[in-house]
Amino acid sequence: MGLLTNLKDSISRAASTLFSEEDPKRIGIYGPPNAGKTTLANRIARDWTGDAVGPESHVPHETRRARRKENVEIERDGKKVTIDIVDTPGVTTKVDYTEFLEHDMEKDDAVRRSREATEGVAEAMHWLREDVDGVIYVLDSSTDPFTQVNTMLIGIIESQDLPVLILANKIDLEDSSVQRIRNAYPQHETIPLSALEGDNMDEVYDKIAEYFG
Amino acid sequence: MPHQCTNCGRGFEDGSQEMLSGCPNCGGNKFQFRPEGADNSPPTDTEPPEPPEPPGGNSTVAKTVGKTAATVRDIVGGTDEPSVGADQPETADSQIAAGPTDTEDAAQASARGEVVSPDELPDHTPEGDHQFEPAGADAAASESSADDTRDRPDLKELREELNNQFESVKVVAPGQYELNLMELYDREEYIVALEEDGRYSIQVPEPIQE
Ligand SMILES: Nc1nc2c(ncn2[C@@H]2O[C@H](COP(=O)(O)OP(=O)(O)OP(=O)(O)O)[C@@H](O)[C@H]2O)c(=O)[nH]1
Ligand SMILES: [Mg+2]
Repeated sequence: MGLLTNLKDSISRAASTLFSEEDPKRIGIYGPPNAGKTTLANRIARDWTGDAVGPESHVPHETRRARRKENVEIERDGKKVTIDIVDTPGVTTKVDYTEFLEHDMEKDDAVRRSREATEGVAEAMHWLREDVDGVIYVLDSSTDPFTQVNTMLIGIIESQDLPVLILANKIDLEDSSVQRIRNAYPQHETIPLSALEGDNMDEVYDKIAEYFG
Repeated sequence: MPHQCTNCGRGFEDGSQEMLSGCPNCGGNKFQFRPEGADNSPPTDTEPPEPPEPPGGNSTVAKTVGKTAATVRDIVGGTDEPSVGADQPETADSQIAAGPTDTEDAAQASARGEVVSPDELPDHTPEGDHQFEPAGADAAASESSADDTRDRPDLKELREELNNQFESVKVVAPGQYELNLMELYDREEYIVALEEDGRYSIQVPEPIQE
């Protein structure tokens, strides 16, 4: 293991000197499809950089390639925290084009979307393994959080010792329950918000600075 | 020589591990799969021609890559820790880096750029892109069917083969997929493109040169 460890060290050194001096932490926004990841990423990017990350949609798997917004400077208590945010495709164990047909999509487009979504999940999983320094895990608080995907992803994140912040999104919806998420993942801090309405974003930024600064 | 460097045309045997660390000739990292007999380019290779592959062509590079990854895991692993990902990518790189490699040059960089849009990827993780067309069903007849590389009669078989190689993604039907997240997470290489006719591209991490 010694040799390999050395190689590993030198590889990561080489990797870090290739690029910027002080790499901002790369924070992956993960979660199931339709949770509001892109809506959140756009809000963060708009609040601190002025532009957006990507399109939002009620049709699942709108995001099919990870998108990055670099050098997002978040100011908290006079301190600046710089992060790169990566909006990732929603992770799922099944992609079926027939799901998209309900959204008025032609079969060809639905099949293509399905294929791209699958590739997107592969990419997102790969990045989780090597390329993120922390995770914002977004859940739609109006749905059951206790799913196989969520449990597995949060488990992987824990096994990597990555700092993780769970966001209970869509608290503006009537059947939202933040407590249900807290019960499902009591080992992590859960922050309620509405990415769409911008509710409770101050606390979200406080926590981002605290966890990833 | 079923695999060919798209840059300099050098051929590689099925299962060649050299490709994993880039073309030893030119440093290129894009390879194309060509069934035997379709190989009409001029690779300067001294090795004897290979016998035709058995039906079902179970020796595609994808499998080799998967096997290599598994082998590396076996060598390095041996822990029962649940934290599967912690030190695998790097050790895999180390293993691959031990092979014959060239330092990265413009050709290599551009080869990479052509395949994966650089803005879409994290620019701190240079990765080699390998394009493969699984030999699949028509491999047995390949010596004689020189011009028939696009003719793949048995898509079902191809799909099955793809499934076997990538238990991480199961192609139930066109547009319907089942994903094994743990398996996707666990692999050094990953799928970047799926095609309905059984073609696919995978990426393997590229060794970082000092
Ligand atoms: N009511 C409500 N809707 C929201 C909120 N955040 C996002 N949405 C809606 O949820 C839908 C999905 O939002 P996206 O941001 O595209 O979701 P995503 O997680 O990026 O989805 P994928 O890219 O498909 O994985 C859109 O219709 C959003 O407008 C919220 O806080 N409240
Ligand atoms: Mg999205």
